Amino acid sequence: MSGNNRNIYGFWAIAKRSLLQIVRRPIYWVAFFLLPLFCFIMLSTLMEEGLPVQVPAAIVDKDGTELSRNISQTLAGMQMVDIQYTPDSFTEARHLMQEGKIFGYFLIPENYEAQLLAGRAPEITFYTNMTYYVPASLLFKTFKATALYTKAGLAVNVIGSAGVTSDVTSMLQPVNITTRGIGNPELNYAIYLCNSFAPCVLQLMILLVTCFSLGQEIKYHTSVHLLNMAGGSIYRAIAAKMLPQTIIWWIIALFLESWLFRWQAYPVNGSWLWLTISELMFVLACQGMAIFFFGILPNLRLSLSVSALLGILSFSIAAFSFPAQSMYPAIGIFSWLMPIRYNFLIYGNIALNGLPLYYSRIWFVMYIVYMLLPLTVLWRIRREMAQPVYAP
Amino acid sequence: MLPDMKKIVSQFVDVYLREFRLIGKDMGLILFFVFLPLAYPVIYSLIYNPEVVRDVPLVIVDHDRSATSREMARMLDATQEVWVIGYATDLNEARDAMARQDAFAILEIPAGFERRVGREEQAEAVMFCDMTLLLRYRGFLVAATNVMTTLGSEITMQRIDEIAPLATTIAQGDPMPISNISMGNIENGFDSFIMPGIVILILQQAIILAIGMAGGAKRERPELIGYNPVNTAPSYFITMMAQMTCYITILIVPIIFLIHYIPLIFAFPMAGSNLQIFAFIIPLVLASCGVGFMIQGVVRERESIFVIWVVTSVIFLFLSGLTWPRYAMGPVWTLVSDLIPATWGVEGFIRMNTNGATISQVAPCYTALWIQAAVYLALGYVVQRWVVRPAERRALIRRSQYLS
Repeated sequence: MSGNNRNIYGFWAIAKRSLLQIVRRPIYWVAFFLLPLFCFIMLSTLMEEGLPVQVPAAIVDKDGTELSRNISQTLAGMQMVDIQYTPDSFTEARHLMQEGKIFGYFLIPENYEAQLLAGRAPEITFYTNMTYYVPASLLFKTFKATALYTKAGLAVNVIGSAGVTSDVTSMLQPVNITTRGIGNPELNYAIYLCNSFAPCVLQLMILLVTCFSLGQEIKYHTSVHLLNMAGGSIYRAIAAKMLPQTIIWWIIALFLESWLFRWQAYPVNGSWLWLTISELMFVLACQGMAIFFFGILPNLRLSLSVSALLGILSFSIAAFSFPAQSMYPAIGIFSWLMPIRYNFLIYGNIALNGLPLYYSRIWFVMYIVYMLLPLTVLWRIRREMAQPVYAP
Repeated sequence: MLPDMKKIVSQFVDVYLREFRLIGKDMGLILFFVFLPLAYPVIYSLIYNPEVVRDVPLVIVDHDRSATSREMARMLDATQEVWVIGYATDLNEARDAMARQDAFAILEIPAGFERRVGREEQAEAVMFCDMTLLLRYRGFLVAATNVMTTLGSEITMQRIDEIAPLATTIAQGDPMPISNISMGNIENGFDSFIMPGIVILILQQAIILAIGMAGGAKRERPELIGYNPVNTAPSYFITMMAQMTCYITILIVPIIFLIHYIPLIFAFPMAGSNLQIFAFIIPLVLASCGVGFMIQGVVRERESIFVIWVVTSVIFLFLSGLTWPRYAMGPVWTLVSDLIPATWGVEGFIRMNTNGATISQVAPCYTALWIQAAVYLALGYVVQRWVVRPAERRALIRRSQYLS
């Protein structure tokens, strides 16, 4: 193509055209800025508290003695629970649970104190509604602690009345195992969830926008013009078309990084530099993956469908909540399919655990593999772009 | 009156059959009407189907090397949650194992551990846990607590036996047993926890996607509308009802599969009455149809529905209260989540299906869903009448001008 008309042909002309397309179509504004930012902000404001304290619960005191009232008071004083009801029977408490008013209840049986003093080993039972994992787990922890404290308090009395005066705590709990959560000692749920789900939203949007913008060219037959502008070179056409998008995504990714680790102050125990490099490479890897999908299915609808379906599956298959090692092996291997998995592992290694780059080296190499993936399918995209056929 | 009825019925049947033909000819639509609700829940259930996290690797740094410390390691290894992969010579080696993801926790037993037990002081050990996944941490915490109490009570019993006359009663067993019962999801499984909610979300999103795509297809290729909207248009209300009946006819099998057979195949808790659950699902389906008809107003191409569908799926999942409980949400997000049919659907369905609640016990959810069904269908009618139909008309006129 003629090199003298620089305004119409060449790399920068395509980049400019691509940028104008983005600026002119509202859907790009929505997809680039509105939706990702809305999701980021929603995730972090939703879980602002970090941990859902004050779980609604109930206590069923069928004993009604000083001892049972003491237990009720101890329980009500715990940070994690909010004793909202005191039903009279098990059935009533179960109904409250079925109606969703409480997440669990603590049951003190009839004649508890009397039975206990008679040495007949009466049983305290607590019920947690495990259909809601997070509140039920917190409730379980609190109920168990209360029951253990009660037991300890009683044992102190019994042992004391037997005339033993030595150090009682070591007697009650001779062995103690302290659990320390590395990087997230207060079990902040937002740190755990936002750092995996927010980048996954980013991946989803990059996949969709990349496939959408390429598919539009073919659907509306503008791809012929695009190829002409690139002088027939598919490399130049794709690279120039992607450049403005890459820059916008980089800005969004850096915003996400500062949003999470600066404003929300989620822990970064390792290198900021490599964390940033990881975010930038992640954007390129997602774009590479999207171009690869588009190369395999060079059609707007099909490539968008695949991006949407896989992008949404990533939230589960990338193993943010259920460990990949615990999945069926035949399913667990698919967790390595999408770039977000590597972003998550690098985040865990560098930000949360503060490990040196050495341990994440392979994940960075995987980013590069995703970036190179399009090279295997560019010939298909070129063929499709030169002779666009839109099949609905 | 009678001829009017006749006209209404014939219009209804016309639109109903036309809509069927339209969907039948479109592979893309069939794929999403059928594939999505059939395949997606199966894929999701398979991902989480192992239910519990078992045998997570842990490495031990034992500075004590005594009988008690070895006993503790053995007990830890014997729990369901933990697998002791071995001993590291020092903390650095253990940290390296953790960095390589060979282990996800370290148990450090300090020197003098057994001596402290013998001296009747409290012996302390520390477990460092990886926090990238909370499910793993939860397993470690449960295992540590169990080992701590079991080992502790063994030691206490021995000691009391030596010093106090009460020993016989105490040593006979736990004088004050505590037990825990998990309700609904009795195995504490992850799949049984998350899938009943996901199923309802998939149901809602599948309906919205299908109706949105059908609308997009018509806007894009107006010749598919199948009638001339410029002069002979059937009534808006009848058209909408007939279209909805057609969509529900197609979706009835996927819906039954989702609501009944997915829990059956994967052995999720099914404590509710089937009849009541289906009664509960009806307003959810109607409300989702209403949202679908509203979405048609903004869908100009069939592709753009994907962007809306995918992103809203993520948003709706978080707002449904499945991962983050609704009582801990701020007032703004509570209000927003109240507007989504799936929020009420998820809550009511979980309680009925998993906790065995009756429909009267989920009355607030049920009422909310009927209100939403009424409001969203009414809004859907407004959008159809003043946005979608004029747009179809314009598109058809443009098309005829272009062709002539």
